[in-house]
Amino acid sequence: MTMHDADRPLDALDRAILGLALEEPPSGLRASILLATAYRPAPLFSFWELSLLGALGAVAVWFAALLILGGGALFVHTVTTIASVATSALSNGATLAWLAAGGATAVWLSLFTVSQPVAHASHRSGPRNVP
Amino acid sequence: MKAGPEDGELVAMTLQGNSEAFATLVERYDRAVYHLSYRMLHNVEDARDATQEAFFKAFRSLRTFRAGAKFSTWIFAIAYHACCDRLARRKHDASDELPDRADPARGPEQEAIALDEASRLRRAIDSLPEKYRAVVTLFHLQGRQYEEIATVLGLPMGTVKTHLFRAKEQLRRLLDGMEVTES
Repeated sequence: MTMHDADRPLDALDRAILGLALEEPPSGLRASILLATAYRPAPLFSFWELSLLGALGAVAVWFAALLILGGGALFVHTVTTIASVATSALSNGATLAWLAAGGATAVWLSLFTVSQPVAHASHRSGPRNVP
Repeated sequence: MKAGPEDGELVAMTLQGNSEAFATLVERYDRAVYHLSYRMLHNVEDARDATQEAFFKAFRSLRTFRAGAKFSTWIFAIAYHACCDRLARRKHDASDELPDRADPARGPEQEAIALDEASRLRRAIDSLPEKYRAVVTLFHLQGRQYEEIATVLGLPMGTVKTHLFRAKEQLRRLLDGMEVTES
């Protein structure tokens, strides 16, 4: 008998091993796997929605602090300053051009990174890719 | 032959947002993954946790699944690594050998039931050293696809064949010993 007799036809022990029944999983295992993966309830807010809500919340807190600490005059002055800076920035052609370039780049990058389907290549896998 | 779409197609469908496709993959492989985990860990709770962890990791990392690879090999490899982590933690915590029969679900009355051929074989497999137990269990699950077994275990194919040969030698000795003891 050589070391690699595993290449030979199946013997009685091989057949006995291959004929063993699989262990019965505990009840509810499949349901708990599915609940943690495929059927996991979608989160109420996406990452971007949460970011936006966080930013809006921070601005609201800042305005509230202005009102409480400095009164109405400081609040009005700050809001007026912000509005005038925003208006002058958005009426500047160069600023608008940079904003457009940034937005276009973000859209272009998202085309390469979001929801890329798996290709059905016929080649064998390389080294294992265990997460 | 499996009915319905191939595993690779199901992976692609899952990535496109079809959750039913992943559910089909779970239905196809949960029992085999649990079997592998149970044979490695000898404990219902640990095997359950390792199985859940394997599918959770697979779901989360589905984008890293290589096109053309076998999903069964991939999920077995994830489960095998989850089991190895648990075994290492156990050894670290207890720094002693695994209990021979650690399954809390088996009571003394079941132990007393006469062993038939399949349960004798199962018991013999359970008493093999960890590396041989893994290779025999994967041989059971995947048949003689030695390359796939080697991929799961991260070993060269020659080593897998050698381990399988030695495991079978030990199994034959154990099964002969059980016959002598029982008669």
